[in-house]
Amino acid sequence: MEVGLLLLAGGIAAGAFGSLLGLGGGLLIVPLLTIGFGLPLREAVGVSLVCVIVTSSASAGVYLQRRQANLRLGMVLELFTAIGAVVGGAIAFLLDERMLAGIFAAILAYMALSMLRGARRTAQPPTPDEASTATDEDQVDAEPDDDARTVDADAATLGLRPVFLSRMPFAAVASLGAGLASALLGIGGGIIKVPLMHLVLGVPLRVSTATSNLMVGITASTSAVVYLLRGGIDAYAAGPTAIGVFIGASLGSRIGHRVDLRLLRLLFVAVMVYTAVEMARRALEI
Amino acid sequence: MPVGPDPLRERRALEGPAPASLEVGLGHILQLGTYVSVALVAAGVILLLVGGGSPLAGGPAFDLPAIPGDIVALRPAGFLWLGIVGVLSTPAIRVGRALLGFARRGEGRMVAISAGVLAVIAVGVIVGVMAR
Repeated sequence: MEVGLLLLAGGIAAGAFGSLLGLGGGLLIVPLLTIGFGLPLREAVGVSLVCVIVTSSASAGVYLQRRQANLRLGMVLELFTAIGAVVGGAIAFLLDERMLAGIFAAILAYMALSMLRGARRTAQPPTPDEASTATDEDQVDAEPDDDARTVDADAATLGLRPVFLSRMPFAAVASLGAGLASALLGIGGGIIKVPLMHLVLGVPLRVSTATSNLMVGITASTSAVVYLLRGGIDAYAAGPTAIGVFIGASLGSRIGHRVDLRLLRLLFVAVMVYTAVEMARRALEI
Repeated sequence: MPVGPDPLRERRALEGPAPASLEVGLGHILQLGTYVSVALVAAGVILLLVGGGSPLAGGPAFDLPAIPGDIVALRPAGFLWLGIVGVLSTPAIRVGRALLGFARRGEGRMVAISAGVLAVIAVGVIVGVMAR
């Protein structure tokens, strides 16, 4: 019973942190299960994929109803993320767990650096250039904007079409990479998809975030099916973790405006650095 | 009289706004699917914890035909696996519903893209089954 409640609590923490910082829960769930509960890395990735789908589907439903997500763009790109996810799901079982741990350590170190840069930026008033290239995490700090929340996602991309269409081949290749990363690491892939849509395709940040959320469901479920059929998902471990992440993500979205995100972000950077070191140690068998 | 593809409509397939009713319907599918699946998983977790089982003891392997029997016998594995299958199926159901919506509007390009996504998911199922 205690272990189940601990898993539930860990899931709540991962879901709340992820929601508060604008990250999917995947980056936190895999280290939580491997370092905290001793699950094999590949099994933790399978559980994480289930959790990522739960949170993304619930929020993508809301984004669609508010017309914040660009359905057509999302469906075009998810064709490529799904292909990447099938390939990733197939090779995940061929790769050595140490290699997976090494990739995970590198991604965590990159995310920690990105968040540190973001924290430094928000400590100073943003210049016009910085404001126009705000990252996903910056969006969380912003005051909720009713007008932006109800923006028509498809209409928001009007006027950008020629650039948008000429960059689609690059977007397709990057989406393949996002699907591959999702399948190998148990993440949603938003760390690739949001900058891709916002910076490369010129889609507004809020629309990019909402559309990425929509795509995560297909990306993660395509590889999760491979994990499920190959015995890579443990239902007993997935149950409490998924429920915890679902509760935590809902909590995070409700208390976000009351939390000092700068302090939280620094705390989170420390957790990610520690986790990256632990993963690197596993990769190097130190 | 046979009608060929409407070029304007085809161009709108990638560029124009998706119909609001379709988006709202897809949103409902995602939310309903998620809540039903989460409720099933929660029931499985409660049964598991009340029964004194450990989530780290290694649960039973996925066995689709065994799920109805497990549910009737109130075994946690049945509820957990059905909930997980629901979680994994919900995004694919959303794509299937989008395909029907686009087909009803005669948007050939979006129908092909939706069908492509479903085909890739089917390939994933085949890859998983073949590797078992």
